[in-house]
Amino acid sequence: MELFLIIGVLLFSALVCSLVRQRGVIEVISVSASTVALIISLFVALKVSTQGAYSPFPIFSVDALGAIVMLIIATVGLAASFFSVFYLREETKKMIVGFRRIKQYFVLLNLFLAVVFFAIMVNSPILMWISIEATTLSTAFLISFYNKPSSMEAAWKYLIINSVGLLLAFFGTLLYLTSVRTFGADGFISWEVLIANAGHLDIQVMKIAFIFVLIGYGTKVGLFPMHTWLPDAHSKAPVPVSALLSGVLLNVALVAVLRFKLVTDVFVGNGFSARLLILFGMASIVAAALIIFTQKNYKRLLAYSSIENIGIITLGFGIGGLGAFAALLHMIYHALIKSSLFFSAGSLFLKYSSTKISNIRGAIGAVPFTAALFLMGFLAITGIPPFGLFLTKLYILSAGIAMHPYAVLLALASFIVLFIGFLRHGAAMIFGEKPTDIKPGETNRWLVFPPLALLIIALYLSVHIPPFLYTLITNAVAIYSS
Amino acid sequence: MDIFFNQLLPATFFLTTIYFHLARKNFGIAIGYGIQSLAIALILLGSFFDTRSLTLLFIIILLVTFKVIIAPKFFIGLVKKHEVKFSSSAYLNLPLSLIVISVLIAVVHSRVFLPLASLVPAHSELVLLAIAGMLVSLFLVINRKGALSQIVGVLSLENSIVTFAIFSGLEQSTALQVGIMFDIAVWFVIATVFVSMIYKHFGTLDITEMKQLRD
Repeated sequence: MELFLIIGVLLFSALVCSLVRQRGVIEVISVSASTVALIISLFVALKVSTQGAYSPFPIFSVDALGAIVMLIIATVGLAASFFSVFYLREETKKMIVGFRRIKQYFVLLNLFLAVVFFAIMVNSPILMWISIEATTLSTAFLISFYNKPSSMEAAWKYLIINSVGLLLAFFGTLLYLTSVRTFGADGFISWEVLIANAGHLDIQVMKIAFIFVLIGYGTKVGLFPMHTWLPDAHSKAPVPVSALLSGVLLNVALVAVLRFKLVTDVFVGNGFSARLLILFGMASIVAAALIIFTQKNYKRLLAYSSIENIGIITLGFGIGGLGAFAALLHMIYHALIKSSLFFSAGSLFLKYSSTKISNIRGAIGAVPFTAALFLMGFLAITGIPPFGLFLTKLYILSAGIAMHPYAVLLALASFIVLFIGFLRHGAAMIFGEKPTDIKPGETNRWLVFPPLALLIIALYLSVHIPPFLYTLITNAVAIYSS
Repeated sequence: MDIFFNQLLPATFFLTTIYFHLARKNFGIAIGYGIQSLAIALILLGSFFDTRSLTLLFIIILLVTFKVIIAPKFFIGLVKKHEVKFSSSAYLNLPLSLIVISVLIAVVHSRVFLPLASLVPAHSELVLLAIAGMLVSLFLVINRKGALSQIVGVLSLENSIVTFAIFSGLEQSTALQVGIMFDIAVWFVIATVFVSMIYKHFGTLDITEMKQLRD
């Protein structure tokens, strides 16, 4: 019932947003729906931590990993809804968007959240594929929200690359399903049925199937070399959408990969999928490190940072054990911190009307709170203690040093390069003399709260993991890591 | 009948994927897509005669309505509307494109994809044909500069996956049917909304004209 309620509330909110003409109603209903989703997600997560996988209907099942990702979706979703209200009000003041666009935005935002929740809750590989495909459509319209040639181009690139990727994932899924067909199973095939039958699939076929699934969903995850849509989409979408893409969508697609990894590992052994995850994870980290130095746009800089961090998470799951534990923590911290950074980037954009790094100078003097949050986010995302990303990187590297020393050394070198690159850009934006035409003061004080709240949660979770969350993480590691 | 369903129709499907690379006019690509979709609908019809599954019949009706009639008609409408500015040029010239296609077909028949041929031994050649169709369609998406050709490439890739599913005996799976229906719906929206929006902004459907992101 709770699971239906989350989807129902968000769909109802989308419906109301499409019908009413009062902006205030649209804003209140959207934020309220996200708040309800967060409360129910917390309730479900507590339930899963004490009772194990929660499956009120055969078609729905939330395991430990699902509960963690639900919490991420709900938290980032609420922050994004809240931030969107005040961010879009400022954009309306600047005549960037009108009421019709605002209405469309909140309809699509609620639909996107409903669909990603559905993707995580649903207990069928095909329904998960359908819901992830559905995210492509809703996010494509959100990416093209500003209706400018550059945002259209980014949306088109996103559509074509992700559609091809998802069709390859569909093909991989069908290859797995051929094992179930031989037993005459009909209707929707659950993950449990797939695992029970997958043993009858030729091991070589299963390996090919996993490669297709990894490349297919890996496109949505943003793994190198299928990442090319990601910097464009992140840089052209409205900032709350960029936060959702980075903090939510990439993780949901990664869950799909991990579920197929679980099926594959049972019969092929974990070595095959682990090697592939390490390869793609490392490639993403190194590619991001090489590109980050030359970035001229701070939203693209954050997007490449997402590629790096999703690479770290993938690497952690590839290494397994302690690496997988750290990868899950990294997923949580990254979602919170990156969303916070995108929100702060949005406030900077409102003040400076530019996304070029070279045009942002002296932010600490122009928007002191936002600049402080942006700096804290920069330090946190590069892995400065006490933020948890320091420890998660350390755990992943230490877990992998014995089995994959070269990969670990390369990752370490990349982290150093990324750290220098990030701080170089960050310092240039935050310090120095602000342009004379920029008046000091926050654009809207409400815009400070979402990034601040997310950073506080990230900091709190860095020093103390609540027992229920710890249980969820250890249970998820026990299931998804060998 | 077997020759029709197991040889002529699969051959039609595959030849259309090759034709998309040879065609120089988008009109031809739109018609080719309709013919390809019709071939797949007829293959599914053959399966319906064996199984009498009503869901399968529903899928066939849906497929014919959207892929054989509406989609090509919509594409032809766009071609007529923006006649001069539509091009279907490619990054690689024709001889090079044909070499790449030959290599892709050779790869499908190499040891790499051999395990997939053994999925349904009775249809091993047809399964490989569908996979070759997938790779050739994927190459179309990569090689063509026109947005319309790219859409047809993605749709042809989807048709190839459906063909694979039919020959590997998955055509009756509810999962596949729901997946196909949803994909048709998604691409219907993309084709109708995004293509027009791209034309509105760029005055052409040549994606090489999209240079706004090079900063």
